[in-house]
Amino acid sequence: MSRAGSSSPAIELKGVSAGYLVAEGLKSLRRKYVEVLRGVSLRVGRGERLAVIGESGSGKTTLLKVVLGLLRPVKGDVVVLGHRIYDIPERERWKVTSRMGYVPQDPFRALNPRLRVADIVAEPLTRLRLPESEKRERVRAAIKMVQLHESVLEYYPSRLSGGMMQRVLIARAVVHEPELLLLDEPTSALDVSTQAQVINLLNSIQERLGCAMVAVTHDLAVAQYLADRAVVLYRGVVVEEGPLDEIVRSPKSEHARALVASYSLGSPALLGNV
Amino acid sequence: MVLAVEAKELSVGYEESDELLWAVREVSFEVREGEAFCIVGESGSGKSTVASAIAGILPPHGVTDGELRVGGRVVVRGNERDYEGVRGRLVTYVPQSPGASLNPYLEIGDQFYYVLSSLYGLSRREAVEKARAYLRMAGLEPDAVLDRYPHELSGGMQQRAAIALALSTGARILVADEPTSSLDAHLRLQIVELLKRLRAEAGLTLIFITHDMLLAGALSERVAVMYAGRLVELGPTREVLRKPLHPYTSMLIESVPVLGVKRPLKAYTGEPPSPGEPSGGCPFYERCPFRLEVCASENPPAKEVGESRRVACWLF
Repeated sequence: MSRAGSSSPAIELKGVSAGYLVAEGLKSLRRKYVEVLRGVSLRVGRGERLAVIGESGSGKTTLLKVVLGLLRPVKGDVVVLGHRIYDIPERERWKVTSRMGYVPQDPFRALNPRLRVADIVAEPLTRLRLPESEKRERVRAAIKMVQLHESVLEYYPSRLSGGMMQRVLIARAVVHEPELLLLDEPTSALDVSTQAQVINLLNSIQERLGCAMVAVTHDLAVAQYLADRAVVLYRGVVVEEGPLDEIVRSPKSEHARALVASYSLGSPALLGNV
Repeated sequence: MVLAVEAKELSVGYEESDELLWAVREVSFEVREGEAFCIVGESGSGKSTVASAIAGILPPHGVTDGELRVGGRVVVRGNERDYEGVRGRLVTYVPQSPGASLNPYLEIGDQFYYVLSSLYGLSRREAVEKARAYLRMAGLEPDAVLDRYPHELSGGMQQRAAIALALSTGARILVADEPTSSLDAHLRLQIVELLKRLRAEAGLTLIFITHDMLLAGALSERVAVMYAGRLVELGPTREVLRKPLHPYTSMLIESVPVLGVKRPLKAYTGEPPSPGEPSGGCPFYERCPFRLEVCASENPPAKEVGESRRVACWLF
């Protein structure tokens, strides 16, 4: 499913370490560096579906920030869609980042309450200088793609349910037909029945665009549906990598084993029809 | 059979500006003493409102109808509520987010002291003594937490402390509202194991609120499924999971990702109606693949199926 003419991988990270400066104490102006990602290497091919699995604090979201060009790593190589994005001056970086789509974690806080849905979804098109009519057409197509009614375009976010908000965020992430789609816990804020809808929707969009898709999640069971391959992050280190089926069947690292074991609660044997 | 909780056509609503929104409508069920009972539903189903009604923590703008008994005592009759001697004594509560429910300004030891001195007039020394026993029961080393503030504990430890605090009241009915939803997977397992063990050891009645059908399966003997404020199905958990009767229960089961099982996720379109939305018929009508004509206009009454099951659906 790779895109014609693009042989470089969608993402290539080599030995990436990144973190944040945090205040040393309440009264101190001095700041110390706290490392979150420690020597992370991974590769995502064009059109590939990868899950980044980890619990809170494992560095999943930080990893996405690095890929999005928002957090310069202190060490390591970051190549996204064939470009060393941190070698590109910040004001030029949009030329690469505008080929990515991003769905942030919390749909309830990720939408600007002052903008109508139409303007929210159109945001990634701003830099592309499209004629107004084409812009509107693309926004309509994106809203259709996420299976929302066109009338939603006139709404403000406050009128939307959680599931609808998530769809609007997905529409915004794909309106410019990105080559790389990045999802931060795309279903963790949703109910199970809505979660199933969004999972199926993301997969159909990924297939249609042929884009690479990276889903960050703490939920191994959800990951199974959003990816073929996975990396398991633990305290900023990749502790395991491989086909998801294999990780689920025979986890090798201690952490992945604990993760798989924690699902023993939802034993499939409890269900009659699976 | 002794009943821990008995709800008869219980309705609970909230007054919002000039409107009265019914979050729970005419719900009837019983929980036996010593039973592990799950209430399963998605957001807006009314499950947390039922939990609050049982635990005696409905907000002042709450409105009730029907009847609710807890520990044999009538606590709700019509719009009259009286939890005196029940709240905190017969029934206790573990909230969803322990970080937000423990008092951030009090050390863990003091939180016990405040609860136990106000309930039983214990001195600080007596309260801390008692706290030690319950913290240990909840799998915490007392000396490591007693003089800590909540923010100094991890999420899992906070939840254990909240459970210990709830149990220290001596109440025999424990209402736990999604106590694991804010925790990571491996902690979730630990907390569920802890609740199972405590229930067995202390002979508690456990009323567990969750959106997770599989968790309900691992934890409970009987399950009630709620949708849009109504109780749509009730029965022994194993039977309900194996052979759901209500189409909504089927949907909950078919749409949950199960680790190690690859099956297409069934997604029914639509979302639950928001509370207060007028619905003359079955609340699941819009999303139901098996709907009949009658479903649009009349809400199905609860019907007994076999000895132990109940379903509110016109298909039965």
